[in-house]
Amino acid sequence: MSDRQTSATSQGATRRRGARSQRTGLDSRARAWARHHRAMARDSAGRLVRHPLASLLTMLAIGIALVLPCGLWLTLDSARLLDAQLEESATLTVYMTPSMAEREAMALAETLRAHPDVGSARLVTAAEGMAEFQQVLGLDDALARLDDNPLPASVVITPLNTAPEAVRDLAGQLGSVDGVDEVRLDLAWLERLRRIAELGQRLTLALGVLFGLGVLLIVGNTIRLAVESRRKEIEVVTLIGATHAFVRRPFLYSGAWYGLGGGLLAWALLSLGGQWLAAPVQALAQSYGAHFSMPGLGLDGSAILLVSSTLLGWLGGWMAVSRHLAEIRPR
Amino acid sequence: MIAFEHVGKRYGGRFEALAGLDFHVRRGEMVFLTGHSGAGKSSLLRLIMRLERPSRGRVMVAGHDIDRLHDSQVPFYRRQIGVVFQDHQLLLDRSVFANVALPLEIQGVEPREAARRVRAALEKVGLLHREKALPIELSSGEQQRIGIARAVVNKPALLLADEPTGNLDPQLSADIMRLFEDFNRIGTTVMVASHDLALIARLRHRVLRLRDGRLIADEHAHEVAS
Ligand SMILES: Nc1ncnc2c1ncn2[C@@H]1O[C@H](COP(=O)(O)OP(=O)(O)OP(=O)(O)O)[C@@H](O)[C@H]1O
Ligand SMILES: [Mg+2]
Repeated sequence: MSDRQTSATSQGATRRRGARSQRTGLDSRARAWARHHRAMARDSAGRLVRHPLASLLTMLAIGIALVLPCGLWLTLDSARLLDAQLEESATLTVYMTPSMAEREAMALAETLRAHPDVGSARLVTAAEGMAEFQQVLGLDDALARLDDNPLPASVVITPLNTAPEAVRDLAGQLGSVDGVDEVRLDLAWLERLRRIAELGQRLTLALGVLFGLGVLLIVGNTIRLAVESRRKEIEVVTLIGATHAFVRRPFLYSGAWYGLGGGLLAWALLSLGGQWLAAPVQALAQSYGAHFSMPGLGLDGSAILLVSSTLLGWLGGWMAVSRHLAEIRPR
Repeated sequence: MIAFEHVGKRYGGRFEALAGLDFHVRRGEMVFLTGHSGAGKSSLLRLIMRLERPSRGRVMVAGHDIDRLHDSQVPFYRRQIGVVFQDHQLLLDRSVFANVALPLEIQGVEPREAARRVRAALEKVGLLHREKALPIELSSGEQQRIGIARAVVNKPALLLADEPTGNLDPQLSADIMRLFEDFNRIGTTVMVASHDLALIARLRHRVLRLRDGRLIADEHAHEVAS
């Protein structure tokens, strides 16, 4: 013990002289700890590299387990179904009496905009409505043959309060305004969408938990075998004074490496899958006149995926070693 | 250094491997532990290492009742004891050097300092030239000496050895015992379990004699010889 302290002191003094050398006792222990972490990180990575096929298969299993919940999440995210602001798309369309003059329509739009429960109001004149209509349906010829524009002017209104009752209430009030022919609101559709979104969120969560557990099991089983194959070594180091933390460390790093590798593979699979699906999805979206860009994980998403997969691997390793440390008793 | 107070050890609830053990070993003493196979020598040493816990009585080491040590303290306790195991307990996939360095690695000794101490320990057992070899490339006597180097690399205050000369030739056995005497001379408390009665008698140290788990004699070797 005293020998260790003197050596640590002299070593600290040669490294960097001065006041800091007084802290070398604690300092050298911290450095020893960091040194062992580095050594084990390197050592466990080396072990994985030495069995490339086995390591790759484990990582692939982890990657595939992660792809499913991530993919579902991405799909829902891009469909805005995970967006809590979904209700903001609750709009009312107020149709004015047909053949109303454009100036009158503008005045009416102002009136509607002034209503205290109205957030914003966008006037769509009869001409604009026609233009939109032509574009969507591609019926130029048939419509061009019409002498009169049969479409009424309309105002698209975003309510301040988007709760269903409030929206319904507002619709009633606007319907009784002079010059308003009809008020349309599509609450049922919105309600349905919200249910789907909730279902999607729960499904993602459930799949995430389930496949997260799957990752724990995959890593746990792999580490269990690793512990088994190094049983003798564990016994020996325990005999000569290794702490549980010391014994656990290389396996935690193995687990973390597996997790990280699996995460990277999942990331690659998601990118590849995204690219593969991008063309048909965009074509499909275009046929609906919608703009839909293929969802990607982005920087944040990628970081979250890699960090959580690494943590899952680490945790799987921890569970496997802890279970086995209890039953390994040196003889 | 070591005090056994009415210590008994049962395995599996009924069989008494050790019973009514009462003795003291002073700091700096060298003691042999002898007795027939199954007498309980290894069990006694395992109690000191806290690999087993007494079923009865107390085992005191350096003034502490080691049964009261918390599990998390046990590794730090073990680091203060050098142990030569009956079956070497070397890691076969690591070099001689790495094996001897293991206790220092566990304690986080700085690598250059560790290397210096490992070489000193290997030099002491006369195997410095084999530091790169794997244990299986060594004879069993050499392996035994690697085990000794590993036990002393940390300069422990207490050195335990379980049959360190089992199946070695008389010359090598004598050499190894002399090594223990050297460590004892610089203040290490040494306890050696051994069958080799002739050798023990020549070395003239205190001898604890076990029979069926009981201490039947506590004497000095010259008394036995006379
Ligand atoms: N883990 C155990 N479980 C049950 N019985 C045990 C255990 N360890 C030792 N024993 C028994 O305790 C008795 C003493 O064993 P121990 O190993 O201490 O003897 P020993 O004196 O070292 O013998 P040897 O000279 O052959 O090494 C033996 O009868 C043995 O069978
Ligand atoms: Mg024995």
